[in-house]
Amino acid sequence: MIVLAIDALEYTLVEEFNCTNLKQKFYGKTNITEFSQPRTMVLWSSFMTGKNMEKEILAKGDKEMWNTRIELKDTFFSRFADPKIIDLPGFNYLKEQHEQERMLLKNYFDAQNIDEKNKIRTEYNNLAFEHHRKVKKEFTETLNSKHDFVLGYFSVADVVGHLNFGNRIMMKMIYKDLDEIAGTIKDSFIVLSDHGMEKVGIFGDHSNYGFWSTDFEDIGSPKITDFARIIKY
Amino acid sequence: MSKEYGDIKVSKEIIKKIEERIKDTEFKSVDEYVTFVLEEVIRDEEEPEEVFSEEDEKKVKERLRALGYLD
Repeated sequence: MIVLAIDALEYTLVEEFNCTNLKQKFYGKTNITEFSQPRTMVLWSSFMTGKNMEKEILAKGDKEMWNTRIELKDTFFSRFADPKIIDLPGFNYLKEQHEQERMLLKNYFDAQNIDEKNKIRTEYNNLAFEHHRKVKKEFTETLNSKHDFVLGYFSVADVVGHLNFGNRIMMKMIYKDLDEIAGTIKDSFIVLSDHGMEKVGIFGDHSNYGFWSTDFEDIGSPKITDFARIIKY
Repeated sequence: MSKEYGDIKVSKEIIKKIEERIKDTEFKSVDEYVTFVLEEVIRDEEEPEEVFSEEDEKKVKERLRALGYLD
């Protein structure tokens, strides 16, 4: 089983850009209304444990929340003999990368003039794209391995989207790339996002639903915690 | 029916920049990237591209703080 975990993959853009590989045979929106806010760390932690983790994650505070590391034995990944998880928040993501992204995000909002903001945004985007290429390479190589469960987490649509969601060309380029990645998967797979994204001028904010797709079952409007049960081993 | 194609002249400097930009992406050629961008630009004549606004920035900054991205 393979999971293409895409942060902030937006249902309406998958439709609009007609990303046929991401849509597969069955696709829809997830129901995340049980959560007070569509927070990335809360949602992925809830996905892997199969239970609502909002209370536990929020108790850590905004800063410590990003250091969450759930043990394999507490996730549904442990049902598999040889799982491979790539860069997933709450499990094993590259902390330094995401800290650097958040630092540049802060610098962007702190910058006093538009030229400085544009310069920081370019640096921020480049950092995200460079990381995306590394994850893509690792994921592609892992697809040829013998792991019985592979999950690749891609953050580019979320990271770049926050400062560029109103830039249609850039977002289409990202969706095209993600669609091509889905197109390289030969086995059965699930596409899942934690939440989507909605436009606020040039910027992007989290939307209150996620995206899912499969080639084997119409699962309606699942909760993110349902996937621990849906994904069979 | 197959599409017909024409030629467009673009400076080598721009071609070089595009080659750099599409490196490691799924764009297989400069032609493919240029076609992609031009399709979007033509489309944007009907739907103008978003521009920076301080009001939007303030709104997003508050939301990102609520979501834990900013201190």
